[in-house]
Amino acid sequence: MERYSLGIDKLDENIQGIRSGYNIMIIGPPMSGKETIINNIVYQGLNDGEAAVIVTTREPGEDVLEWFNYNNLEISLEHLGIVDCVTKTLGVPTSDTANIRRASSPVDLTGIGVKISQFLEEFWMKKNIRKTRLCINSLSTILMYSNIQTVFRFLHVFTGRVKTAGAIGIYLVEEGMHDPQAVATLKQLFDGVIEIKEENDVHYIRTMGLSQKPSKWYEYTVEGAKIVLKDGE
Amino acid sequence: MVETGIPKLDEYLKGGIPRGKTLVYLNHPGVEGDVFGMQTLYHNLQKGAVCVYVTSSSNPGTMKDQFKEFGWNVHQFEDTLLIIDAYSSLIGALSNENFVVSDPENIGNMTEMIDKAMKEVPKGSIIMLGSLSTIMDLCGEEDTLKAVKIWNKLALLRDHVIIYNFTTWPYEESTLNSIKTELFNSVITVGGIAERVIFGQYFGVLKADWSDTKIKSMLFRVLRPGGIKIYIPKILVTGPFNAGKSSFIHSLSNRAVSVDRLGTTIALDHGHIEYKGFSAEIFGTPGQERFDPIIQMISGEAMGIFLVVDSTLPKDFIRAKQMLEITKGYGLPYVIIANKQDLPGALHVDEIRSHFNIPEDVPIIPTIATSKEGVFEAFDVLVEKITGGN
Repeated sequence: MERYSLGIDKLDENIQGIRSGYNIMIIGPPMSGKETIINNIVYQGLNDGEAAVIVTTREPGEDVLEWFNYNNLEISLEHLGIVDCVTKTLGVPTSDTANIRRASSPVDLTGIGVKISQFLEEFWMKKNIRKTRLCINSLSTILMYSNIQTVFRFLHVFTGRVKTAGAIGIYLVEEGMHDPQAVATLKQLFDGVIEIKEENDVHYIRTMGLSQKPSKWYEYTVEGAKIVLKDGE
Repeated sequence: MVETGIPKLDEYLKGGIPRGKTLVYLNHPGVEGDVFGMQTLYHNLQKGAVCVYVTSSSNPGTMKDQFKEFGWNVHQFEDTLLIIDAYSSLIGALSNENFVVSDPENIGNMTEMIDKAMKEVPKGSIIMLGSLSTIMDLCGEEDTLKAVKIWNKLALLRDHVIIYNFTTWPYEESTLNSIKTELFNSVITVGGIAERVIFGQYFGVLKADWSDTKIKSMLFRVLRPGGIKIYIPKILVTGPFNAGKSSFIHSLSNRAVSVDRLGTTIALDHGHIEYKGFSAEIFGTPGQERFDPIIQMISGEAMGIFLVVDSTLPKDFIRAKQMLEITKGYGLPYVIIANKQDLPGALHVDEIRSHFNIPEDVPIIPTIATSKEGVFEAFDVLVEKITGGN
């Protein structure tokens, strides 16, 4: 069975590779570097010759690409697809590019779904890439516009697609934005969680469900584009 | 009748949707079903119809811009395309439209606006709901189903046609059943062929209570620009050596390649055709006997066959029939291409039929492939057979 790595060294050593078909939630407080973590996971995949699909609900697709540029991280654009749910809501006239396809809004789950499927098909059928990571950044924005049942139905379909395609799915959730019951409902759809907490201005990260036992809590810092983990507790 | 503007679909629906009736495009998640509604809308706007569009997942400007990808400009129909804006209030934006649903989570509010719009437009107009599933997500399954019944009745009273787009997310079984079987006069499914990923898309008529159409499925592709085209992934062109197969393929195709040596095909020809709402791939086999194993390889999964013969060479007809057998094509629709009709001694269609001893219903089309004469007629006839036209 194919395995995926996160590109975050101590966590990877602990997990020994994420199984294909897994869907994982990243949950943590605001300003804890979750975006950097998700970008690192994408970067690792592209470096491993895999494909990645990023659904962006908070910043335009161009800004997502710019992050990699700004941090001097070379990526293979051939392997990257971005579903941009922002630009069209701003009323800026734009068109799709080879890497960026735009849904009409974060409410337009039908459109988002079509664009994800198109990228998955393109990578699998046309480009012959057998490993893809789908990253949704973030579910919280989608939940601002649609209710929990609607988002659950959407995820039910797409976590299933991730499984059949042998991909992995990473879904970002802002802690504290939703009631705990909503988060518990969503968790049913996921195989594992990457959890982030903050104590006395220090950030910690751990994984659950990806190895036999939850990993230790690792203290980490965001240094430029990198996530640096210290030894665990 | 209101035509859908989708190739073949109007034929299956016996001309389109009768006034006062409803149609739903039932779109599987991840499949480009929206385009069906858009194509239907644009087709009717062009014909001068008055249309009301209910937008619930994007603002009216973005909604109109989406048509542009397909080469359709709906901004020119400002007077005949009316918008019910059920989106702007949701995100707290202002709307310039005449019909604004002030609370998109209140189904009563939606009904009020739909009723108002239906009364303002001339009888026999078209009402399109951009996304019934989004409305259902906001207003709840039960309330939405009840409202749909009311909308359908209102439309019937004024002879309007309502067209719905609905994405089949995993709703309650009873909701999906009622959508599939009882709520609408016609149901068109738009689905995906999936293995590891969705790699093909099809549509089919699940129900149409005014016609006796059985379920038929058609593969399609979405072209930008262009919209929905019926897709035929493989048509085979076979026939004896030097019958003119490559010329036939090159005449028919928008682009084509051949693997040739000394002027004859030794591996295969491939051509791609965009014609009259169809998009097709054609594959040509070599004609010489020593290549017969290749014919078998190429012919797998073909949907129809052109059997090309040189009309001046009846002695080759036996070989032609033999080739048809090699392709295992007997179960498939096929058309005989009586080529080289411009040469002296070319046999007439009737003479060829008696030489071949084949049933009357197998079409024989006279062609001159080098000058494209007859080739598109032949394509029309074969495609008609493949797509099951009556």
